[in-house]
Amino acid sequence: MKSRVLRGVFLGLVLICCFLKTEAQTNSKQKKGSFSLFGLLSLNNQRIDDKGIAVPVNYLYNSVNNNAFKPGYSGGFRWDGNAEKLNTYSIIVGINKVSAGTYYKNKYTLSPYPDDFTHFKADNNFTTLSLAAHFKKILPVNKMDKYKFYAVAGPSVDYKITDISNENLINGAGNRGIINADLGAEFDNKGYYVLFAHYKIGTNLFNSNVPMRLNRFEIGMSIKAKDLF
Amino acid sequence: MKNTLKICLAFVLLTTAFACNKETATTSTDVMQNMISNKTWYLDYSITGTVVQNFVGQATYYISFLKNGTTQDSDGLTGTYSIVNENGTYLLKVNAKTLNGNTLNYIHTLESVGDVKMVHSLVNNGQANKTLLFFTAK
Repeated sequence: MKSRVLRGVFLGLVLICCFLKTEAQTNSKQKKGSFSLFGLLSLNNQRIDDKGIAVPVNYLYNSVNNNAFKPGYSGGFRWDGNAEKLNTYSIIVGINKVSAGTYYKNKYTLSPYPDDFTHFKADNNFTTLSLAAHFKKILPVNKMDKYKFYAVAGPSVDYKITDISNENLINGAGNRGIINADLGAEFDNKGYYVLFAHYKIGTNLFNSNVPMRLNRFEIGMSIKAKDLF
Repeated sequence: MKNTLKICLAFVLLTTAFACNKETATTSTDVMQNMISNKTWYLDYSITGTVVQNFVGQATYYISFLKNGTTQDSDGLTGTYSIVNENGTYLLKVNAKTLNGNTLNYIHTLESVGDVKMVHSLVNNGQANKTLLFFTAK
């Protein structure tokens, strides 16, 4: 438990340092960024490894396994750094409603039953609060004074704010924190709006007996708050 | 921007402080209790050593577990049941009475418990091998 907390603190410090450094650079040049609201649609899939479950519970594999991407949605706000710079950043805070298809890596048998079983049933509908820090690199395509294309990458953290089911607490499997690596592309239309597509791959922020991998594809749009209100 | 920084800090503190597991001592038994309760379980197979008895599609033994902790079976036994964890072994304890009013208590080991399939084991007196009982909820 102590090492988990230390890892969390370390991660938090890294995020804060990155943020402060970028912010200091922006302020030193007397430039300002922009505050936007965003909405997005996502496709989600999680991969579950239940090898750490020792409690003798079973679930019919075919009734819980669904190796598909299921839709979700998010909303929130983001702060984009100075758009005139070649390399900039965005800080994104959002609430995500995740509905995930679930793939269970392990199958078990209970002979003489012909069925396959798994020892864990993951929560596949949950809500998270997320924080992302994205580095944005402008791509030299088109007329950059009007339309801007960016490649983006950076870490993000999700925190499950919905209740965790008892099934997910067995053997200490329950874990609210998810850390992600994000990659994507963004299109800025003259500063009016930004269209973006992100891919996120996430895993448990802290150790879990049931490691999970959460894959998400997101497409969305952000609009400057001052244009909306 | 200071507000954004505050939000970042609050988020990090929140995830650090609360991203812990919250399993309690009764989590596993509660899950099992929920899985088996309010269902009638029919015996499909009985296996002792290498001897397999198949009851699928036949009139067979059944037992019901209700949410209120009571049980009754096809032999006429009625009583109460509970699931307990003893050093990592999950036991089904039944305190029942026969049709004649005689007390009959028994304990089975839960080998596997699910929403649809359940496996018990027991060792009968004078028996070298344990008997596995395979149930299906209908």
